[in-house]
Amino acid sequence: MIWKAILFILMCFVIITGISFPIVENPQGWMQFPIIPGLGEKAKIIFFHVPTAWLSVIAFLMAMVYGIRYLRNKNLDEDAKSAAALQLGMMFCILATVTGSIWAKFNWGTFWNWDPRETSIFILLLIYGSLFALRSAVENEDKRARLSAVYSIIAFLTVPFFIFIMPRIMLGLHPGSLEIDPNSGKIVQGTSPVVDFKMNGNMRLVFFVSLAAFTILYWWMWKVRYRSIIIQEYISKK
Amino acid sequence: MEGGLLGFLEKNSIYIVLFIVLVVWIGIFLFLINTDKRLKAIEKELGKPYSGKKEN
Repeated sequence: MIWKAILFILMCFVIITGISFPIVENPQGWMQFPIIPGLGEKAKIIFFHVPTAWLSVIAFLMAMVYGIRYLRNKNLDEDAKSAAALQLGMMFCILATVTGSIWAKFNWGTFWNWDPRETSIFILLLIYGSLFALRSAVENEDKRARLSAVYSIIAFLTVPFFIFIMPRIMLGLHPGSLEIDPNSGKIVQGTSPVVDFKMNGNMRLVFFVSLAAFTILYWWMWKVRYRSIIIQEYISKK
Repeated sequence: MEGGLLGFLEKNSIYIVLFIVLVVWIGIFLFLINTDKRLKAIEKELGKPYSGKKEN
């Protein structure tokens, strides 16, 4: 019960500080955030958009871990945990895409630019979307669990590449991508708040508290989800 | 009342957004607590264990 209270307080802290603390040119007090070049007030999206992408990675990782556990002990509870993680991972992946797209409209001019980051999350949505199609197409629950476990293991192998590597080795608009230096014309590492943390101490604090709060929230949602799946399967077998 | 809380909120509209987001968060939080409680009650009624372990 204590962790629920901690989650409530942490999330309130992130919402209050993340929304109300002003972004100024030269932060003097503890309740001011610095300007990140090219982002302005829109930099505050980092407190709410990045955690959704982070949670989809955590969820897909957990889907793989419980998939491996299912293959080891053939316990359908592990498949329920894996399925719950997959559903939440997909939900947060869609949220990351939608929030990023709204932000892109106001920062880059259009909702969709086929930036490497956007392309990679689109491919991830396709990969994991087809896993749901696979799950719903198989009626035998043991076969469904086995196929889903193997698919989630193979699918997760692509996640580090699509989330962490590909958007950082290509030219792009998203913070963290490579950029062309206007002075020298050479390809350089982008001035990104995500990669080299051009945030000041308190902005970084709010960012990491946000990651922690969203992770606890995910944990709670995941527990509620997998327990309901287990109960549903138990009742349907009765 | 012009100079009071309403007047302040009219001049600093970001705080209206802040209050709305806080209300949304409180709503989600209460919903999750409620769902968790109901699940616990169902689990108690069904009795443990209802594991999916394969019987060999």
